[in-house]
Amino acid sequence: MWLWFSKLGSPKWFYELSGKWLPWLVIPMAMLLIVGIIWALLFVPPDYQQGETIRIMYIHVPFASISLAFFPLMAVAGTITLVWKMKLADMVAKVAAPLGAWFTVLALASGSIWGSDIWGTWWIWDGRLTSMLLQFFLLIGVISLRSALEDTDAAAKACAVLSIVGCINVFVIKYSVDWWNTLHQPSSSFSLSDEAPNPPEVWVPLVIMIVAVYLFFAVSLILSTRNEILVRERRAQWVQELVEAK
Amino acid sequence: MTGQQATSGQAFRATLKRDLVIAYKRKNDVVNPFMFFLIVATLFPIGISPDPARLGEVAAGVLWISALLASLLAMDNLYRADYEDGSLEQLLLSPHPLYFLVLAKNISHWLVSGLPVVLVSPLIAYMLNLPDEAYGVLLITLLMGTPVLSLLGSIGVALTVGLGSRGLILAVITLPLSVPVLIAGTITVQQTLNGAELGGYLAIMGAMLVGALTLAPLASAAALRISVN
Repeated sequence: MWLWFSKLGSPKWFYELSGKWLPWLVIPMAMLLIVGIIWALLFVPPDYQQGETIRIMYIHVPFASISLAFFPLMAVAGTITLVWKMKLADMVAKVAAPLGAWFTVLALASGSIWGSDIWGTWWIWDGRLTSMLLQFFLLIGVISLRSALEDTDAAAKACAVLSIVGCINVFVIKYSVDWWNTLHQPSSSFSLSDEAPNPPEVWVPLVIMIVAVYLFFAVSLILSTRNEILVRERRAQWVQELVEAK
Repeated sequence: MTGQQATSGQAFRATLKRDLVIAYKRKNDVVNPFMFFLIVATLFPIGISPDPARLGEVAAGVLWISALLASLLAMDNLYRADYEDGSLEQLLLSPHPLYFLVLAKNISHWLVSGLPVVLVSPLIAYMLNLPDEAYGVLLITLLMGTPVLSLLGSIGVALTVGLGSRGLILAVITLPLSVPVLIAGTITVQQTLNGAELGGYLAIMGAMLVGALTLAPLASAAALRISVN
């Protein structure tokens, strides 16, 4: 177990292993994305209330749900960085922050477009929207702290601390914002768990899209981590051999 | 403290006293956040409307946001002078738990920068036409909330103390972290005006204060060890 753990910390080992994994992730991702998007955009019956707009859900929900994973991910990676000083964990944490910001922006933007039609406004200070926006700000904070600190090691630890604090805070924000919102205005009648009869032709493509976007998340995280490995290990012999071989 | 080993309690008191003495000698650091609070609070009526009715509605939020910004502005000199003259390193080298020393610095910093803002807030509240029944609750929430702001800000300062230009980064890091306190504080004041029972709201603010007192100095201490090496 520990041997495996310390091996996982080796960037070279991860680079080689993830190279083998990638096709097994990319191929299902591409297939599911194609099937899911075509199904969602062309074949799902229009919603009886929202009409064609319901199709945005198939983009919005997967992105919104995965963007909640970034702070826990960064906090776990940060803890590993602080406790075991594993370089790989910090590489993952580093690339996760900008990715998380992009996913959050996509969730906000798709939600905003959807909202412009069904709520009649691009933005409301709804609890969920507000906590997403604040999560975006917190991610930007982590990114700017990382770029401000020149020493890689100090940046790794500082961002680890900030990610852990931020992760706790994201949960507190989520609850406090819900609380704030429900007191200030009645929450908009929008719920996915509406026990309305949702026929399979509505939710099956959604499940497909969610799995596809999760795979997309994994692939982008692995690809950018591989990139980061090459950048940071550029002086290592195995990277130079790799470059020469190409 | 030669010869015999001081207890952590003594170290805590010594740090607290030292910081208070330094603040007393450098009165500008005390006066500036306070003046900043007054000025920001003055900008709101000018920017929004001089109409007393409208101001009364937003007064609690204005006071809270002004207090938040004043606390942020004041944070910068929490560790900087000590970092520049090397005494921060001495703190880190001391055999006492850094938690207590950081807590002492945070408390003394709040006493000189947070407390004056809390104490002057009724005056601003009056100028902003805050309804009478909210004064007491406003004071209580600010008393409970501004220490949390200081404790959270301390983490941000500790992370950025080694940086050349840290003002904006500090704001970007700290302000989103402060949102729950802002929400709790303003809701509590609003609920007074609605005539609601306050026990639960104050309990939540108390929970935030206790949580921040317990956890935030740990994060600050870890961050200081990273920044000073």
